[in-house]
Amino acid sequence: MNQAVPADPFLQVVGIHKRFTGVHALRGVTLSFGRGQIYHLLGENGCGKSTLIKIISGAQPPDEGELIVEGTRHARLGALDALAAGIETVYQDLSLLPNLSVAENVALTGELAAHAGRLARTFDRRALARSAARALEAVGLPGDAAFQATLVEQLPLATRQLVAIARAIASEAKLVIMDEPTTSLTQKEVDNLIAVLTNLRAQGVTVLFVSHKLDECYAIGGEVIVLRDGQTVAQGPIGDFTKAQISELMTGRRLSNERYREGAPGDEIVLDARGLARAGQFADVSFTLAAGEILGITGLLDSGRNELARALAGVAPAQAGELRLDGRPVTIETPADATRHRIGYVPEDRLNEGLFLDKPIRDNVITAMIPALRTRFGRIDRARADRLARDIVRDLQIATPDVERPVQSLSGGNQQRVLIGRWLAIEPRVLILHGPTVGVDVGSKDIIYRIMQRLAKAGIAMILISDDLPELLQNCDRILLMKKGRIASSYRADQLHEADLYRALLSEAA
Amino acid sequence: MPPTVPSPPLEPAGRRVAPPVVNAVAPQVRSGGVRARLARHPEWFTVALIVAMCAIVGAINPRFFQFATLFDLLHSATTVSLFALGTLVVLASGGIDVSFTAIAALTMYTITKFVFAWWPDAPFALILVAGAAGGVLLGLVNGVLVHRLKAPSLIVTIGTLYLYRGFLLTFVGTTFFMNIPHSMDGFGRMPLFFYRTVDGLRAVLPVSVLALVIAAVLTWWLLNRTMMGRGVYAMGGSLAIAERLGYNLRAIHLFVFGYTGMLAGIAGILHVSNNRLANPFDLVGSELDVIAAVILGGARITGGTGTVVGTLLGVALVTLINNVLILVGVPSTWQKVIIGAFILVAGTLQTWQRRNA
Repeated sequence: MNQAVPADPFLQVVGIHKRFTGVHALRGVTLSFGRGQIYHLLGENGCGKSTLIKIISGAQPPDEGELIVEGTRHARLGALDALAAGIETVYQDLSLLPNLSVAENVALTGELAAHAGRLARTFDRRALARSAARALEAVGLPGDAAFQATLVEQLPLATRQLVAIARAIASEAKLVIMDEPTTSLTQKEVDNLIAVLTNLRAQGVTVLFVSHKLDECYAIGGEVIVLRDGQTVAQGPIGDFTKAQISELMTGRRLSNERYREGAPGDEIVLDARGLARAGQFADVSFTLAAGEILGITGLLDSGRNELARALAGVAPAQAGELRLDGRPVTIETPADATRHRIGYVPEDRLNEGLFLDKPIRDNVITAMIPALRTRFGRIDRARADRLARDIVRDLQIATPDVERPVQSLSGGNQQRVLIGRWLAIEPRVLILHGPTVGVDVGSKDIIYRIMQRLAKAGIAMILISDDLPELLQNCDRILLMKKGRIASSYRADQLHEADLYRALLSEAA
Repeated sequence: MPPTVPSPPLEPAGRRVAPPVVNAVAPQVRSGGVRARLARHPEWFTVALIVAMCAIVGAINPRFFQFATLFDLLHSATTVSLFALGTLVVLASGGIDVSFTAIAALTMYTITKFVFAWWPDAPFALILVAGAAGGVLLGLVNGVLVHRLKAPSLIVTIGTLYLYRGFLLTFVGTTFFMNIPHSMDGFGRMPLFFYRTVDGLRAVLPVSVLALVIAAVLTWWLLNRTMMGRGVYAMGGSLAIAERLGYNLRAIHLFVFGYTGMLAGIAGILHVSNNRLANPFDLVGSELDVIAAVILGGARITGGTGTVVGTLLGVALVTLINNVLILVGVPSTWQKVIIGAFILVAGTLQTWQRRNA
């Protein structure tokens, strides 16, 4: 690029305050975003990250302070103002309209912003297709008519993400905010995304990342901004900080990188799986699980690990093979079977598969044990339910004033604990945790790991399915690596290095 | 200190971005597959049903294949088509409207009564415009309520359905007119085209069929060629996302319900002039028939989809069932059974395709 990039910052955020009923979410945040830079916004759940993004992208007005976009002061931005100013936000849901074509998703937003949101007008379809093609090619997607006409709902997730970025390019975005963009991507897709964004940055576009994955932040490079309790606690080149320092800045306390695993598995075999199979998903899966053992299972997205987890929980049952619980053969065809045999399952997608978000914490905790709470007349023993829920809230350190609050009022880490608490209520024999710390901040991770270790000590057999390698190494006794639906190898976690496991994981092509 | 002078624009429009060196993540776009294509164009299912039905009926009763039948079908489909086009727009926007029949009944009866009493010689064009305006007004009430209350449009329009109908029967009247204003009567009799059949009967294609054509073209144009139309589908895809992307939901809500109201008002006036009768008890009760036709035309009840062509095909299918089964001796009570069965099949196919697509 021989274009001189202006030295003044693209966006300045000055003294922003935001209060919600009872919560001072942002306390005087002042930041400056230069052009063609990459920023990482880090902080625990509830530190004000999402609020800050909403204010920058025009979804919410600040209570105090101002936004200066390219030298122009704004007390607040509307959604259209932000778009017109070149601020594009790619939320986790990507904000794509599934029922519209790729071309429409890419090009219509810019068209709308360019005409101040006026709807009573026709549009130039050829110009739209040209602009969509240019933007799609810029992110490495095909720009041809067939792809442009594809409906977004027919695309895989990683492609949708690129479509969302293409939309930002088509709208002449100067600042692209990405909210946890890599959560559901495979490593290869993440690498690809990083390549696309690095390219974008070379064109003078500023990228603001919000992520929980510190490793990725280091891989991408750029500046880091750490928020804690609604205030900026650090800002600077990411290379100036170690991972431990950043974690400490985020949480305000020192976190160890050491193994959490304290106990050792017992001798008694609780779960014995032999030759489990489900057509096209996994085959010939055999393993044993002892009381108090934590067994890790990992693999790439297509390895069958997710499908195995769902099979053990009865969501999509295995079609062949044998499962023994405490030496007795059991059949698990439905989630209700699993619950009856006291096998608990904490799904990966807690929002869609696990929690009743608008229902009180109490109701969420007791769902698995409603039969046991029934009184003689078939009603639910309210007092016992309350007591039980309160015990679990205290036990798992769920941050809430009372059990009547809806689950959606909790942060991600606390929601996850509610889900674990539901299974503790039935005193499980086996607990299957599927990605228990996805989208959870470091502080909450620490608490969840400690809870897991305590439960193992109490004799619960646990299966931890995850793609977070440090998590597996820190918590498990053994780790099974799955490839193409089969168990490829088994490791003892205490003698394994992360780099070795990572290499084994990626050697899938061989 | 923030700079007070706006910085020069970074670069003019049309920024060229060199393609990055990326791993091939280009998606495999599923092509071919009969099932995939059927999922994208569910109206082919309707076409198949129509063809099958015509073939069967024609084989049993060869008199089916003549222009007179087509004229009759078009005649009886006009009102339903206008309703269906409005319903299509509402469904595409992710809502549902069941009050359109009440809007049509209220406007047609009130305007007919008013014109007959005060200005029997009013020109038809003016009556039609009055019907459209009345429909827009009542539709806008729906739009404002849906937008303001943030309530499900089904609930709101069930409410207004009763409200409009109650208002009509309580304050305007309950007796029906056999005498309608001259201009309406004249319009109803006006042929666009006619010929004598072999039996010596006069087969007439009424001029009101033009309304169907105009409404279909206009709706197609609005939905596919204007930003408003794209906004309607955007809102039907996801209300929250459309708002975040800067679509003006208030404007879209008002447009959607106002437009549906307008088509309903016009349909009401045409209904009176076609039947030479203004009956306040007419129309209401046929909402589900209309919605069924639109669904058979491939629109999803969950919103965000649907085409004008599909909708017209859906109407054609329902009209066929209601009018020609009689020709081959199927008792009229069986019509409902057949429509119900078709809807079940179409609905099952739709979900089945979505799951497997």
